[in-house]
Amino acid sequence: MIKFFTFLSLFIVVFLLGQPTVFAADADADNESPIDIMGTVADHDYFTFFGTKLYLPRLFLWQDDNGSTQFSTYGSTKKALASGEFEQVEYVITPVNGSMLIDFSLTSHLLYFWFGLGALALFTMYAGSRYKKGIGTSTAPKGVLQNLFEVFYEFIRDEVAKPNIEGDKHKKYVPYLFTMFMSIAFMNIFGLLPWAATATADITVTAVLASFTFFVTQFSGTKDHWQHVFWFPGVPLGVKFLMIPVELIGLFTKPFALAIRLFANMMSGKIMIIAILGLIFIFNEMYGSIAAYGVSIFSVVVTSILYILKLLVAILQAYIFSLLSAVFIGMAVEEHEHDQEHDDHIHADLSV
Amino acid sequence: MAVGAGIGIGLIGKGAVESIARQPEASGDIRGAMILTAAFIEGVALFGAIICIILALG
Repeated sequence: MIKFFTFLSLFIVVFLLGQPTVFAADADADNESPIDIMGTVADHDYFTFFGTKLYLPRLFLWQDDNGSTQFSTYGSTKKALASGEFEQVEYVITPVNGSMLIDFSLTSHLLYFWFGLGALALFTMYAGSRYKKGIGTSTAPKGVLQNLFEVFYEFIRDEVAKPNIEGDKHKKYVPYLFTMFMSIAFMNIFGLLPWAATATADITVTAVLASFTFFVTQFSGTKDHWQHVFWFPGVPLGVKFLMIPVELIGLFTKPFALAIRLFANMMSGKIMIIAILGLIFIFNEMYGSIAAYGVSIFSVVVTSILYILKLLVAILQAYIFSLLSAVFIGMAVEEHEHDQEHDDHIHADLSV
Repeated sequence: MAVGAGIGIGLIGKGAVESIARQPEASGDIRGAMILTAAFIEGVALFGAIICIILALG
């Protein structure tokens, strides 16, 4: 009986979570179709705060016609346009006379990226302050949050870092892997809220995260690693020259695959939710409102089930990102003994 | 491309369930490996899916 009511209340919670997305789809209607899929997942210069839009400040680094670079800040897009120095040309703000160098404006994806990192920072600082007070170093840790922190940290240290990075070097990389795992998990889970934007559903954000992994991997590469990239030992001379572009491309495809995997999983989840809920609006326009009511039962049920799947995918993708980062770091840090028989050393190529 | 992903993940599931049947003690390890491999294959399938969606709706 209790189990039935638990399941029912969970279902109702997930059902209710689908409501505000309905309003979100309705608000951005244009005359081609009732729903605007790409417009909702794209980056915005406003931040939806319980139904209203908060316009975010714009910061521009631009160059005048005279050649002097200037840095201007405006409270919102409207004020930037009203000041007369900027104009809007097809969704892009450009200076009237001059050219834009770098657009540092705050957007909603950037804000959610900071929320994810901020949540992680608060969590870690809370745990750190508890450890400094002595709870948990000599006695058992007390409280839910501190134990949760220990669960995640030991998971990263024992399951992700230690099996993949050999020797004692895994201790250096556990903080980086912990940060990656927790911040991506937080960002993905924040994106599940209907009015929120998933920060990782943006290729620029995932490219930045993958480039962090790339730089950490390259800066911790041993001499063996660079030798394998540029002058592969143990093969005939002609093959050595052939291996240089092959290894260089392999060096770059691995973080590229990391970025695209995370981006595609998050964005496809968001698009599926908007599309299936937007089916209601499409049916409304094509067949009248009775059909819309009918299909809404199907749509909302399917959306609730999809939400549970997306929750699993969010955490799983964070785990896979950090696991593959650990594998790449382990491959770069690995030192094996050189002997004459280098030909039969098989290199695993993980550019999925 | 969705069919390819479906066939791939189906083969993984078949291998996983058969090996759990042969050795039930290792079911924890096998479950972990199965979920990991399924996520990889789904990543590859979603590469193409995202490109199709962006081309169709962009």
